[in-house]
Amino acid sequence: MADLSLPQAVTLPNYFSQDRLALPAQILNGEDMPSALTAALNSTLHRERWKYSKTAPVLEGLIRTMNLPTIIGGEQAGVQISQAPEQNVRFSFDLSQAPEAFARLCYAQEALFIHIEQTLKSPLEIHHAGSTVPILISLGTNAEATLLEHFAGNLQPQNTLWISLAERSHLKHSRNSLEAAELHWQYLCVDIGKNADYLLNNHAAGAGLRRQDIHIRLSGQGANAELISAAVISGKLALDQQITLEHLVANGKSKQVVHNIVADGGKCTFNGRIHIHEGANGTDATLANKNLGLGKNATINTKPELEIYTDDVTCAHGATIGQLSDQELFYLSSRGISPEAAQALLSEGFLRQCTQGPLAEAALPILINAIKQEHDA
Amino acid sequence: MSLLEVTNLHATVGAQDQQKAILKGLNISVNPGEVHAIMGPNGSGKSTLANVLSGRPGYTVTDGSMILANTNLADMEPHERAQLGLFLAFQYPVEIPGVSNMEFLKASVDSLARARGEEQPNTAAFIKKVRILAASVDLDPQFLKRGVNEGFSGGEKKRNEIMQLLLLEPKLAILDETDSGLDIDALQVVAEGVNRYKNSNNGVVLITHYQRLLDYIIPDFVHVLADGKIIQSGDKSLALELEDKGYAWLT
Ligand SMILES: Nc1ncnc2c1ncn2[C@@H]1O[C@H](COP(=O)(O)OP(=O)(O)OP(=O)(O)O)[C@@H](O)[C@H]1O
Ligand SMILES: [Mg+2]
Repeated sequence: MADLSLPQAVTLPNYFSQDRLALPAQILNGEDMPSALTAALNSTLHRERWKYSKTAPVLEGLIRTMNLPTIIGGEQAGVQISQAPEQNVRFSFDLSQAPEAFARLCYAQEALFIHIEQTLKSPLEIHHAGSTVPILISLGTNAEATLLEHFAGNLQPQNTLWISLAERSHLKHSRNSLEAAELHWQYLCVDIGKNADYLLNNHAAGAGLRRQDIHIRLSGQGANAELISAAVISGKLALDQQITLEHLVANGKSKQVVHNIVADGGKCTFNGRIHIHEGANGTDATLANKNLGLGKNATINTKPELEIYTDDVTCAHGATIGQLSDQELFYLSSRGISPEAAQALLSEGFLRQCTQGPLAEAALPILINAIKQEHDA
Repeated sequence: MSLLEVTNLHATVGAQDQQKAILKGLNISVNPGEVHAIMGPNGSGKSTLANVLSGRPGYTVTDGSMILANTNLADMEPHERAQLGLFLAFQYPVEIPGVSNMEFLKASVDSLARARGEEQPNTAAFIKKVRILAASVDLDPQFLKRGVNEGFSGGEKKRNEIMQLLLLEPKLAILDETDSGLDIDALQVVAEGVNRYKNSNNGVVLITHYQRLLDYIIPDFVHVLADGKIIQSGDKSLALELEDKGYAWLT
């Protein structure tokens, strides 16, 4: 395989030199950026994560024009939006995890820094149309907020978001990625501080390829992360979800439930990696990925991975690929419900288990429709 | 004219190459207004009869016939049999997470109405009716919002089956051990539900191991099913005799 490379030389944005943001560990340790990025791009880990999606088109897209997203709720008390980071906000940039995301941050030069200092009355809503500038959201100590993201843009949009949660802050994050696109790449990295809470409700439909990279770091003791995700991939569309969740310190709790329906011709990849670091005692981590194949020629790759370097952990980790249950189908038909209607009820039920939060109501009909279209076709 | 006429029924279970004969020439005839109790040893084929009648996949009828309301069941799909008026209260009701009980009941009632060319009930009236029925079998209305049978206790599942029986008002109800695992109060609730359902036009087939249920739901006939056949039939006193002597004297 040919070596991967970035489309242009990378220079650090100005705001790093203002000494407000911590540089990636690799750079702090004296590595030069080009070689650190190239090494990361061509590492085994990286290749593994890009096994089912082509990397090159995403790399080429890194330098494409970006626009500003529309933000609703940005004027309310407690929100500051600026071009430079707040003092004392820690974002984590891990070159080895996602070199392309960091490269994009550099290419963009400008970014949108959103700091939430206190609990918000209304949700903060971000509407992305096409490729948007990198966004970095930080929550101050004790702040509570709801973040809603909507994605649109039918060509090759890219969206990158870093989130940093200070002690005891709470963020409820919902996002709907339901519109058609040729190639949609979404990168999300969340760093959860001490006793802070993060919840992500993720709803996705297939696209030419929709690639969701999610990196969640429980970096403060007692941090809590929950990821609930539902997707429907049908009719020659594809979804590639790459989720890395790291328990870096003790007493963190994480729960991930991912339900994907893959209907005729759809292709779905799920790679969920849980990494429990040394010293992360008392970790409680669960991940359940369930895939439902409907119709013919559904392609499903699922790979739950577990790396544990601590003894004192509770961990449940599982992936299933299946069809609708015969028992459930029979129960419904014994009550007069036709096989088609029973199938629809059961697949909707499968989705409904993971369609939650403020954007659920908007997402559910679209996802259900995505299943139906395939069956009517 | 009988409501259900099962004649010389032979049925096997299992995949094509390893079929096992379970029903071996079973006859039963249920007239409108009658309650038939079927008793018999574990593994004798009672649930198999219920499953074969309701069309559960995995069973093959190899001989004989099943006629419900003048209609041959053999070539009908399970949902069509239900639409014709057959109801099975499951020995082990199935849990369906994600599909709420209310949504399930509405889908069922709508399907039955559509199949019969009747008007689908108005949603508000429907919800009201279901809530009243739930309360009548001691199920909190909260249960209607939960997934079908999801996390219900054994007894709650059985009461949920009876609630469906009362809502769907089938022509023939087959209750497969609906009394098993019920406490004394719940047993009375279930029996009261069945008695409320019962009328001169419909029929009940009660599969049970305990004659106690028959103190509450008085059967017109009691049958003993053993090794895939009805080997003895009688009135309520047969159940008492079985309670006393077991099955050995018959087989
Ligand atoms: N899928 C199957 N494959 C093989 N054998 C089966 C299958 N299903 C049922 N059987 C067998 O058929 C026989 C009859 O089972 P059935 O469930 O009808 O008994 P039952 O009379 O209802 O018993 P119980 O009183 O315990 O409920 C049993 O021996 C059972 O093991
Ligand atoms: Mg049985």
